[in-house]
Amino acid sequence: MTPMRAMVIDDSRAMRMILKRIVTKLSFEAVEAGDGKEALDLLADMTEVPELALIDWNMPNMNGLEFVMKVRADPRLREMTLVMVTTESEQSQIVRALAAGAHEYVIKPFTEGAMIEKLALLGLVPTGANS
Amino acid sequence: MSVEVEVDENDLAEMVEQVWESYLDPEGISPLMQTYDENQPSEVHSSVSITGSWTGHVVYASSRAAAQRAAAAFLAMELEEVSEEDISDTLGELANIVGGNVKAMLPPGAQLSLPQVVLAPESSARYPNTERISGVYGLWEGEPVSISMWQSSTDTKEEGA
Repeated sequence: MTPMRAMVIDDSRAMRMILKRIVTKLSFEAVEAGDGKEALDLLADMTEVPELALIDWNMPNMNGLEFVMKVRADPRLREMTLVMVTTESEQSQIVRALAAGAHEYVIKPFTEGAMIEKLALLGLVPTGANS
Repeated sequence: MSVEVEVDENDLAEMVEQVWESYLDPEGISPLMQTYDENQPSEVHSSVSITGSWTGHVVYASSRAAAQRAAAAFLAMELEEVSEEDISDTLGELANIVGGNVKAMLPPGAQLSLPQVVLAPESSARYPNTERISGVYGLWEGEPVSISMWQSSTDTKEEGA
């Protein structure tokens, strides 16, 4: 069986490492990108689209919200589950991200358990993967 | 623009606790012990700027040893494996996380900058026309760590007007 793949998009290498560690533990193959533009460039070269993208909001070159809008406008990327992982925690920002097409929202700081629960809610990992 | 700052030391302390629980001390064995000493020394610092409905900076400052320990915890590395880049990246993300959560408590219309990291003491930083309005100051395994808020004096003057 082909492992699921996740794209971790964050300008902070430290945060990418944390997220990569979590999804790898859940048997995802992880690809990293430092901003939305780099992520789109990587996606353009991929024959198979990752099932999951974890996306920071504040990034140089192309921020997370712009990335979500670009992905939603591209039918090839329609199946990718988009999760914003960000400090942008105001209700208005959450609404903006969801309206743009993000499926879920995780606010930094988050614990590993909270992230796994969120992915379980999205049906990407089995319920109870956290235990 | 004039706003009443609604982020106090208790709010900052709660955020700090969440950061420790999530990344720096998930086992809950090494919390930040508050000293309430705003003059404690620092050797490195990072900051994010907030503009709009409130204008100022959120600054994370610590000793180099505490920064190295934070990077090791963040990146799941041994202390001796931690590089300058690891320290810089971790300090930037810590400022980003705290700053982003501060922004969420401010009135709508605030923007957050990307983090700035300076591997030099907080006292060497220049935040023109600002005043420190709040902070959490403590020791983490004996090493100084602080998180402080600096408000633009333009805001402060208008508030007092």
